[in-house]
Amino acid sequence: MSDTFSYLLMAWSDPQLLMLTALGTFAGIYIGAIPGLSVTMAVSILVSFTFSWDVNDALALIVGIFIGGVYGGSRSAILLNIPGAPSSVATAFDGYPLAQQGEAGRAIGLSTVMSVVGGIVGTIMLASAAPLIGDLALRFAPRDYFLVATIGLLLVGSLSEGSLAKGIFAAALGAIIGLVGMDPVTAEGRFTLGQVELMGGIHYVVLMIGLFGVAEAFYQLHNLDSPVIRQKVDKILPSFAMVLKFLPLSIRTSIIGVVVGVLPGVGGDIAALMAYDHAKRTVKNPSKPFGKGAYEGLVAPETANSAAVGGAYVPMLTLGMPGDAVTAVIIGALVVHGLNPGPMLMVENPHIFYFTVGNLLLANVFLMIFGLMGIKLFAKFVEMPKAVLIPLILVLCVVGTYSINSSMTEVYWMLGFGVLGYLLKIFGFQMGPIILGAILGPLMDTSYRQAMSSAGDHPGELLQGLVTSPLSLILTSAVVLILLGNTPLLKKLKSKFSPASARG
Amino acid sequence: MNKTDKMLVGERTFCALLLVFSLVIFYLAYQISGFSSANSPGAFPIGVALVMILSAVKIAFELLGKARPDCSGWLDAFQQFRRQHFPKAVLIFGLLAVTYLAAIQWVSFYVSTFLFLVLSIVYLRNGRVLNAILIAAVLLVLIYLLFSLAFSVYLP
Repeated sequence: MSDTFSYLLMAWSDPQLLMLTALGTFAGIYIGAIPGLSVTMAVSILVSFTFSWDVNDALALIVGIFIGGVYGGSRSAILLNIPGAPSSVATAFDGYPLAQQGEAGRAIGLSTVMSVVGGIVGTIMLASAAPLIGDLALRFAPRDYFLVATIGLLLVGSLSEGSLAKGIFAAALGAIIGLVGMDPVTAEGRFTLGQVELMGGIHYVVLMIGLFGVAEAFYQLHNLDSPVIRQKVDKILPSFAMVLKFLPLSIRTSIIGVVVGVLPGVGGDIAALMAYDHAKRTVKNPSKPFGKGAYEGLVAPETANSAAVGGAYVPMLTLGMPGDAVTAVIIGALVVHGLNPGPMLMVENPHIFYFTVGNLLLANVFLMIFGLMGIKLFAKFVEMPKAVLIPLILVLCVVGTYSINSSMTEVYWMLGFGVLGYLLKIFGFQMGPIILGAILGPLMDTSYRQAMSSAGDHPGELLQGLVTSPLSLILTSAVVLILLGNTPLLKKLKSKFSPASARG
Repeated sequence: MNKTDKMLVGERTFCALLLVFSLVIFYLAYQISGFSSANSPGAFPIGVALVMILSAVKIAFELLGKARPDCSGWLDAFQQFRRQHFPKAVLIFGLLAVTYLAAIQWVSFYVSTFLFLVLSIVYLRNGRVLNAILIAAVLLVLIYLLFSLAFSVYLP
């Protein structure tokens, strides 16, 4: 027990960790706030620089950037009507109208406090739920891993914008990229096209920097001269009564945030939209109509996207599966540091879990401090012209990619993935499923083959296992339900059985 | 499923390319170990390739419901596509980026980065050369301080 406490307080008591968390949170707010720089981009570029660090130092910085970055997007959403990050798209719906009414200061203050509320609820739920899920995960058979990963990929496909087919295609493409290299069992080359360089596989941080950095930079070239609007900011701190008034809503939306965050592959952006939708449906008398500056419309997405951070850590720390794109990068960082995210992490390295929980709380404290400060300086900072920002992003992508393995070949690959990502983006494909596919693909391959081996190479026996074990049955039903929910079949069934269902 | 949705220019071609690409992936997956057993190195890749083919077909079917884009002939479609998605800024910046990556190994990281930053900032803002040189120099110093000194990262 005392060990647990010392791990929890580790980040609070070590000056260096304290400083790195503060630095991360501060930098995260500003990175997240600059339209065009996303948290995922920042974390994926930065993580490659921390490979030579001590693992705690690296995690402290990343947690700070994660927490700060998710919040930071709200500032530019409120001030400029340009969400700094995908997770703050919903924040702009009511945040910008508030700014137009001269209430930008109060809106930023409220969103800061509410982000902290969401962040703390998320962390508490992480601390209480993860050990339980971790225990359950120890009983997972390989086929259950396979099913959970499938659910994750299907959810990303179905919940992200656009068509399910596009989402699934992107995820499968990612899986193929992830499978490139030597087969872990027989050391046979897969998809290497006879190239020796490809035998080692494609590092997914390279893929990620290409998709989120380069592709995004090229995409931003289309709106080089979007006009800059200047804002006056004052009266920042919200009154206690105001915070108290929104507390019930914020708790509800935080829970939505955590639950959405827990689902493998779905992150703060979807959590925020769902929470906004929830607020719109449940709040009867909003302070102003929704879409015209309702504080409720600001509270809901801001609590949810911050709470989703804690949620996203749950599958990562317990199953070794990323809860969203950022935790996917963090998994990479843990592996580089010789740790093995998955059910054994809590047993072998319990300090990582409690350290992360303590660290998340600390980052939220810093968020409160930095979030209420320096808004004037900030207004200047977000006005950084895109003409400077875009070339700088490319240089950072090069530096970030090169630092992974000191290989120029990987830098060329990164640019190639950037162009591929740009093309896919044009035709409405999402980048998230590709990354998750690249991470979950190899994991699914391994668990599939373990499952097949334990079924004695009889596919029939494996299929039987899917429905006879209670845990597998639940997961299999989830897969089937998600698939059905996305086909016209469900609608047909509903219309056919509607008289029957009306009774229940 | 809005029937009045319009196809993007080049979407059909892209869709066909996706399908071809998926078939190539399937072929490559088949090459790994054929259909030898359900537990071979190639089994899961074949499954993934099948998923790609099926979803590419589904994407193609989704296109059927959409109206065709207004363009006459392939050449016009190509030109529209280029104008919409590869305007001059994207092409020139892309060219600068490729040259930059190629130049890193010839003329060292700092020199090529400086030149790349100056040229692209000047191009993207249509001028103000002195200002761009100043900005590039400041950024380069920051990169040096942050990455070489603080993070001690190997630069290309």
